[in-house]
Amino acid sequence: MLKDITFGQYFDNNSFVHKLDPRTKLILLILIIVFIFVSQNWISLSILIAFVLFSMILSKIPLRMYLKNLKAILPIIIFTMLINLFYSGNGEIEPAWTLNLFWGLKITSIALIRALYMIVRILLLIIASAELTYTTTPNSLTDGIEKLLSPLRFIGLKKVVHTLAMMMTIALRFIPTLIEETFKIMNAQKARGADLENGKLLQRIKALIPILIPLLISSVRRAYELAEAMECRCYNGGEGRVRMKQLKYCLKDYIAFLTVFAVCGLVIAINIVF
Amino acid sequence: MSVLEVKNLTHTYDGNTPYMHDAVKNVSFSIEKGEIIGIIGHTGSGKSTLVQHLNGLLKPSDGEILLDNKNIWENPKNIRAIRSRVGLVFQYPEYQLFEDTVYKDIAFGPKNMGLTEQEISIRIKEICELVGIKDEYLEKSPFDLSGGEKRRVAIAGVMAMQPEIIIFDEPVAGLDPMGRASVVKMIDDYSKKYNATVLIISHNMEDMALIADKLLVMNKGELALFDTTENVFRQHEYLKSIGLNVPMVTQIMLSLREKGINIPNDIFTVEKAVDYLMTFVKGGNHNA
Repeated sequence: MLKDITFGQYFDNNSFVHKLDPRTKLILLILIIVFIFVSQNWISLSILIAFVLFSMILSKIPLRMYLKNLKAILPIIIFTMLINLFYSGNGEIEPAWTLNLFWGLKITSIALIRALYMIVRILLLIIASAELTYTTTPNSLTDGIEKLLSPLRFIGLKKVVHTLAMMMTIALRFIPTLIEETFKIMNAQKARGADLENGKLLQRIKALIPILIPLLISSVRRAYELAEAMECRCYNGGEGRVRMKQLKYCLKDYIAFLTVFAVCGLVIAINIVF
Repeated sequence: MSVLEVKNLTHTYDGNTPYMHDAVKNVSFSIEKGEIIGIIGHTGSGKSTLVQHLNGLLKPSDGEILLDNKNIWENPKNIRAIRSRVGLVFQYPEYQLFEDTVYKDIAFGPKNMGLTEQEISIRIKEICELVGIKDEYLEKSPFDLSGGEKRRVAIAGVMAMQPEIIIFDEPVAGLDPMGRASVVKMIDDYSKKYNATVLIISHNMEDMALIADKLLVMNKGELALFDTTENVFRQHEYLKSIGLNVPMVTQIMLSLREKGINIPNDIFTVEKAVDYLMTFVKGGNHNA
């Protein structure tokens, strides 16, 4: 159900990771993602696994939250695994064993290892990205993005950066509101006898119309109201806006940067050596 | 014989999470056919959660709902049939309008019940007459109507299913006095014409005093009072202690009483207040 989506949700806590500057977390996440793909063997990957696990513990977010997230992307994981299982491993190296299945499909030991390797990569990717949203409020996340993109002002894109950041903040802010609204409308139409659970695919799609139209209309209405409310408070784009909370790197951020740089260096070194 | 009976109903939200709480705790009551019941309570007292159980939108965590002495969850596949017998009009129902004409929107409920086009058109004609939607409105887009008209169309959409029990969640919220009066009249007319049982959630004590036979008072998820309107409003001190009020005119009469003027403490409508004040004034003149 919609309620189970935990990706993009913030969990209040007071851990080391929560207190990091959002820019630090963004940059380090990108670095980690890049190095997940840079790593070429199990030894370098295991260093990344260890690092991600370590940061998970540091974040003090219950493991259950991460698992819930993974459940949602289970189909993608299974799909990737099957593809890799059957279509890779036809290289020059002779596999240790080969398992022949029906229709000429076969699984080789190399393919199995490669499939596992791919899955671990995807899992790390998802966990690391989820950790960013779990530990960073949407507002500080957009602040961070705006700050990181601020060099674009030198090529005359200052307004664009601010507008994008504001749009993101608003979009994130309204996700829970829209979910709540969807449930309300669903219940109202169910009370009028709408059947949302049964029927063939086409019927089910048709059954969505009484929900989508009111939802669309109320979103547009909300947007107008919000725009008016913002104008009433003299909002006129990013021009001359100042912040109450200035973003500032502190000791924690430097420690985090150094740790991740060390991990990345290690990954490169291992890639070269092995 | 009671038409609707609620037995030890408990509803727990977010079970097994840190946010777990009981929105409704061990509530039991029964309602007779044709009664108009007002449900009052502070915000967050569990009123909306309670009524969503009565037509099976929510499933009780514990306890049961009996409709004509039969548990509505006896056969979960039949829950849609229950929903056409127990109508529920949500707060701000105009936000669920979606069709391109008023006619089609009102027809949505009856169509879901599997009625034929002919039956539907008879029902729509009947209900529009009852609630005062003119024929020329039927081909208009519901989005071109005024707020009060939209509300009436949305309510008609539930009434067209001709439920024997109909529940309203804050039916007059956000309407002007005229719109409010017309919605209250619609509800009253419907209940008279079809001998329907009505439950209304409202914060407006004046409307309650006008149409409710009985009041059901919720407080922090528990049933605090369930009695005739008069008996409930007589307990004005208790109501105040749980954040509720009595009708404005009763408040005035009560403060007059405090000033030593001999007025009974059970005046809930303006008409009755006028009667008493007139006899009081006349009596006063007579004494002088």
